[in-house]
Amino acid sequence: MIGDRIRLVVLAVALIWVATVVYLRVGDRALAGLPRGWNRRVVPWLFLAPAVAIVGLTLLFPAVSTVVLSFFSSDSSEYVGFDNYATTLTDSVTQVALRNTALWVVLLPSLSALVGLMIAVLADRVSYGGLVKAALFIPIAISAVAAGVIWTFMYEYQPPFANQTGTMNALVMLVPGAEPIAWIIDEATNNYALIAATLWTQAGFAMVIFSAALRSIPDELEDAARLDGATEWKVFRYISLPLLLPTVVVVMTTMTVVALKAFDIVYVMTNGAYGTDVLSTVMYRELFTAKDNGVAGAVATILMIAVLPIMIFNVRQFRRSARQ
Amino acid sequence: MKTSSGALTLSVTFLLVAVAGCSSSDSEGGPAPTTSKAPGSVVEAAEAAAVEAAGGEELGGTVTMLGVLGGAELDAFKTVLAPFEKATGTEVQYEGTRDFAAVLQTRVEGGNPPDVVATPAIGEMAALAEQGALADLSEVVGDDTLNANFSQSLLETASLDGQVFGIFNSVNLGGLIWYDPKTYEGPTDPKSWEDLQAWATSTAEEGTTPWCVGLESGAASGWPAADFIDEILLRQAGPEFHTRWRNGEEPWTSPEVKAAFETYGAMVTEGMAYGGVTNVLSTNFAKAANPMYASPPECFLNQQASFMAGIITDSFPDIEPETDLDFFPVPDFTTEYPGIRSISGEIVAISNETPESVALVKYLATREAGTLIASTGRWLSPNKGVGESIYKDPFLKKASAVIAEAEGTYSLGNSLMPQTEVDAFWQAGLDYTQNPEELDEILETIESAR
Repeated sequence: MIGDRIRLVVLAVALIWVATVVYLRVGDRALAGLPRGWNRRVVPWLFLAPAVAIVGLTLLFPAVSTVVLSFFSSDSSEYVGFDNYATTLTDSVTQVALRNTALWVVLLPSLSALVGLMIAVLADRVSYGGLVKAALFIPIAISAVAAGVIWTFMYEYQPPFANQTGTMNALVMLVPGAEPIAWIIDEATNNYALIAATLWTQAGFAMVIFSAALRSIPDELEDAARLDGATEWKVFRYISLPLLLPTVVVVMTTMTVVALKAFDIVYVMTNGAYGTDVLSTVMYRELFTAKDNGVAGAVATILMIAVLPIMIFNVRQFRRSARQ
Repeated sequence: MKTSSGALTLSVTFLLVAVAGCSSSDSEGGPAPTTSKAPGSVVEAAEAAAVEAAGGEELGGTVTMLGVLGGAELDAFKTVLAPFEKATGTEVQYEGTRDFAAVLQTRVEGGNPPDVVATPAIGEMAALAEQGALADLSEVVGDDTLNANFSQSLLETASLDGQVFGIFNSVNLGGLIWYDPKTYEGPTDPKSWEDLQAWATSTAEEGTTPWCVGLESGAASGWPAADFIDEILLRQAGPEFHTRWRNGEEPWTSPEVKAAFETYGAMVTEGMAYGGVTNVLSTNFAKAANPMYASPPECFLNQQASFMAGIITDSFPDIEPETDLDFFPVPDFTTEYPGIRSISGEIVAISNETPESVALVKYLATREAGTLIASTGRWLSPNKGVGESIYKDPFLKKASAVIAEAEGTYSLGNSLMPQTEVDAFWQAGLDYTQNPEELDEILETIESAR
């Protein structure tokens, strides 16, 4: 059984390789026969076509059909206009989800940029910096579902008089007179607890990007400022930070997208209970539990519209830095 | 009243039988999940039944099966599948997922359904049957076999417009109260729920929480509350009301439903349940009974279905059944509807009709396969041919007797409703536990999810 499958996978990969090489070779030869002007115009499309086809099939087509479905009834049989949007936007569950998603979008990017930048800058100044960086980096390799399970244990709650089995509450209990906190149930803490768990998986990424960017800042600039009598804080504030600004933007936008996409951690840890729903958990429930293609499509479209400006901004930023 | 005390006298008789049965099964010792605990003759009989189900052919090939089991439960179920695989040469590929509804939906819509599905969500299956995605088992398996092996009510539970879309594979008896006979000093044969709660209240006043409750269960959190509220409604408002309610003919906001929520609510207030409301919400149902075994015990009673015995003994392997753990059925809520019991269970259905999938379901419908289900020590068999004497496990034997003595057994409503409503019900179990004063709004929320 397994042997057959492995053979099949190897075969499929080999086939794709061969087909691609043949396509490019043969296409290139064939186009070589064209007049020179034509050739220069057509060749780029020869190379672009496979990528465009794949993106169109796996991204553009599903995106467009999602938007289309959002204007139809739950079983997609009847056109209903903006009804699904009205239904979902007036629903109290979606409103809570919108509020939470906004909270995620504000907190996750700013905190991960802050933590990532702080560690990146400070770790270079101490001998055990490598260790700190490694500790922050390792969670990147942990899947969000596993992270959710890990943090469920971390946040575990036991009654005040019992031994605390969750690490967070064990720490809380070190404070004299403190009561354990039901982190993911108490509505005062649960959204922050989920965001913190996600931060744990993402801050390492921010740190790596900042570390790389810091390396690219010429030492002479900082040294010159130090010779002129600038304090370390001033060196950071007036030399490093302005030069890091494009990187801050990259990290913030990436993290904003992560925050908008947030699903796994919420699904694993609370499944949206106690007011922790985000837009993607609402979408999932509409699609798989309620089986309402229309409303699920509407929620997905709202999410997509929220991400679009950030993506456009990001692409522009890339172009600008490419030109420089 | 008479029936429940009758059931108890009977079960005392079974206790004696069970003790003998237990000590002999102990000598086998240790966990041996992949090989059946059943005697060789039972396995041989099952193999013969499998050959017959396959029409006397060596079928070969494979059957894909989508279900919800995992871990030790799946290992136990595989011992039921093993004779079928051996006798027919057909490999059963069981895929267990916690996200059953989503996976099944995706595969059905993608034109790649599993051959056989097994799930406790009967309402979800009914929706699939309505789409025409499930085979009619009265044709495929045959009415004779079905009627010979299953009670009319079980067949009707998994039917739609005269089409039998599923047969019960395993059954759990709901509404049991688990306790540690060494520490629990309250009534073990209470005449009514009020009597039991009177003991619980006085225990609470003395400063010990009587109830051990846990509602957390990952994405399905809240179901233990929903199950018990469901049971209370069945036995407090009566089976007829219960049926109308689950069919959507009685609103969630009706006084009967409200009363059921409130009866449940009295069990989980501060002081009545271990650790208070916050702990009830954050404790996993599988760990709920653990404080019962602290010394001194932190709570005494855990309300849960028959499968709880396996969960408790998994956590505390040293527990001796009946010396350290036992149960009595939840007493009557009203004299008007005495001796009613609730069951829940997994049904199997055919979502892709192939010779192999038909043979498998035919096999699972046989008395021989039912006997193997009973031999796992985890589930009751829904099969009429499987009597109390077949159960080696003392709790299952007792549960089987409770069902036999019942005035009537009914399926829980939340296994039969559409999944959206079930989710809302589970969620309501959590919300009501957390904010009991908001009951009216909570009930309106479920009503609007219908």
